[in-house]
Formats: sequence, C-alpha cells, structure tokens
Amino acid sequence: MLATTIYEQGDHRWIMFGRDPDKAEGIIDTNQYLVISGEEAILLDPGGIELFAPMLSAVLKYVPADQIRYLFASHQDPDIISSLGLWDQALPNASLYSPWLWEGFIRHFGMERIRYCAIPDEGLNLTVGRIQLQFVPAHYLHSSGNFHVYDPKAKILMSGDVGAALEPGEPPLWVENMSQHSAHMKTFHQRWMPSNEAKDHWLRRVRQLDIDIMAPQHGRLFKQAHVDEFFNWFEQLSVGIALR
Amino acid sequence: MSTPIFVTAASIAAQLHQAQHHARGLALTAKNARALAVRAGSKTVGFRAITQFIDELASDIIRQSQYINQLSEQVSQHAVALWRGNMADGRFDWVMAENSEHRASLAHSQRQCRLRSDELSERLRRGLRLLEQELDESEKHIRTANLIATSSKVEAASAGEFRGQLEVIAENINATANQIRAHLQQARQLLSQRQI
Repeated sequence: MLATTIYEQGDHRWIMFGRDPDKAEGIIDTNQYLVISGEEAILLDPGGIELFAPMLSAVLKYVPADQIRYLFASHQDPDIISSLGLWDQALPNASLYSPWLWEGFIRHFGMERIRYCAIPDEGLNLTVGRIQLQFVPAHYLHSSGNFHVYDPKAKILMSGDVGAALEPGEPPLWVENMSQHSAHMKTFHQRWMPSNEAKDHWLRRVRQLDIDIMAPQHGRLFKQAHVDEFFNWFEQLSVGIALR
Repeated sequence: MSTPIFVTAASIAAQLHQAQHHARGLALTAKNARALAVRAGSKTVGFRAITQFIDELASDIIRQSQYINQLSEQVSQHAVALWRGNMADGRFDWVMAENSEHRASLAHSQRQCRLRSDELSERLRRGLRLLEQELDESEKHIRTANLIATSSKVEAASAGEFRGQLEVIAENINATANQIRAHLQQARQLLSQRQI
C-alpha cells in the first residue's frame, strides 16, 4: 500500500493511502486518508474489506491503534466502509462519523463496539487533537446522504467521489494537465452524479473555501492551481446522463 | 472445502422448518380423524382415543421443531460472529508480521478478539451439543408416531364401514411421520458433518 504524506506542519499531518500493488484484480482503486493532530487521528473513508489488512498495517506505521479515535465514512458504499466489521475489532473505542441517513444501512457491515455518530444534513465540526475538521454537505454527489471533509488549517478538501477519476495503469498521484485528466473523469461524473442542482449547490459552497489540495477518493489529487480548473470544468458538465 | 458451520446450522434450521410444516399437517390429520370417529360412533371408540394422542404429538413436534429451529439460528449467529472474529484475528496476524512501527498497539485488540472468539467457540460447542440432544428427543416422538399409526390400523380394522377412511388416516400418520423423520435424519447428518 502506497502511503504519501500530502501535508505536514508540526504534529498535524495528512497521509494518503492507495495504489495497493497487492490489491485483488477487479477491485476499484481507492484513496484512503489519515489525518493526525497531536495524540488523535481520524481515518477518512477507510476502504473495503479486501483492503483492511494492508490498510491497518500501513496506518500503524504512523499512529498506534488507540490514537485512531475517529473514523469517517462519506457515504455507504462498500469501497468506502465495508471494512467496518474488522475495524470494529481493531478499534473498539473509536467513533464513526457518517451521514445520519445511512446509519441503519452501514450497521449491516457489522458494528458492535464502535459508536455511530450521525452527521446531520447541515454538517458538523469535529475536533481532532488540536485541529477542527468540517464535515461539508455534498448530498447527491453521488450518494443521497454524503459529506466531504474540509481542514481549514491544512486547506485540504477531501472531496469523496467528486474529482474522482478511473484511470488505467498506475497513474501519478497529482493531476498534471486538467484537459488530459478530464477525459478520465467525464464518464464517472456524468454517470455517478445524479443532479445538476446538487452539483451547482456544492460548487457555490466549496468556492468559498480556501483550498490548497482537493483529495478525491479515487484517482489523482488536485493542487491549488488545478482546483479552480476542476470547479470550472465540473460546472459546465451536465450530469445524470443515464436517463437521456 | 468444508461447509462453514453457519451454513450447516442454517441448513438444519431449514430442515426443521420443513418438519414443522409436516407436523402441522399431522395436527390437521388428527382433527379429521376425530371428526370421523365422532361420526362413526361406538365402532371407533378406540380410534377416538388415539386421535387425542396424535393431536398432542403433533403439538409436541411443532413446539420442539420451533425450539430446534431457534437453536439452530442462534448457533448460526454465533458461528458467523466467530468466523468474523477469526477473520479479524488472521488479519491482525498478518499486520503483526509486517514491519509497522506501532504494530504492538494492536496487541490489546487482538487479545480481546481472541477472548471473544474463545467465548463464542464455547457457546457454539454448547449450542451444538444441545442441538444434538434435541434431535435425539425428536426421534423419540417419531417412534411414537409410528406406534400410533400401527394402533390406528388395528383400530381401523374393527370400524366396519368406516374402515377404509380410517385406514387412509392411519396411512397419512405413518407417511407424515416418515417425512418428519427424513428431515430430522437430514438435520442429524448435517450436524455430524459439522466443522467448527
């Protein structure tokens, strides 16, 4: 499992995990994120059951298990959180922050010890160590109950499936050329995102944020120079195409 | 590959569900037999007494099948929880063998996981033993049903013009008892093939 520190300032770190070379064939590649501040850490979209062991091993290179106090699942998909039943055994004292809408569904992955903290539709702030993370509403992008995570100190927006790309081979970590990269994002966004209204609502919201890095759950990450380019591209893209 | 115990237990529950279905049929047969015995009057006094036994027997089989069914479902649930715990333990072993700086911090969770697995294994063993005992008990009920069927045939022989109808009922009892026995035997066979 590839682990890359994408932000580090004192004891405040963002680490991205992904591009697992031992991943079983046919499984979509995913990006997982660990945010550490002081003695506390949160795992964002910890991934599917198939990735659990390499993820746990990779994470323990950075923090001891008992410091991972929080998990976050942006929505209910299996590539996001089907590993929950195993994290439940590894981190019995942790809390899972996830949309209120999905609580009854996500519990199907197995959750006896971890505490479910339901995020209301309007979002929530969570203090992790010495920083505060914002759970930013992203409903219908693509899930009907969906949140992204914004770290105002690191200026990172973990954007879930927004900005995701399905790219063959082993692509680099960062977007280098938006016009080339958009080809890998187009179908994904048009098919997975159901609502132009939701897209415009999200754009109005995130354009007010100060973003240095946009970190999606699949594919390459965006540095500041490409974030605005992405917003403009996304704005002109018509989504929800399956019915047309 | 051996069948996981939670699949075996669920299959046993399914067999018992079928047995219950047949036992309900047996209860219906008992009601029909009683109605016929009442109509036949003094010629079927012996048969009328037997119908009471059939009815009670059917109720006993239904009750016991329900209990075994419930027990099998519990066993299946324990087995799934144990399987999940063992899977986590296997993953923890993998992580422990990796060169992760903080791997020792996982030791407490792994110990807890193993303790839970031990406890679940014990509950599973107890559940399986109980299941075996209950299936043995059910077998006794079936032997009783066969005896009742034989007595019914004897009583039917002296029932004059009702003989034919009563013989059909006696045959029904016998056939139903055999169907229930087949499901119980299937359940016992599944249980004997179990792998914990």
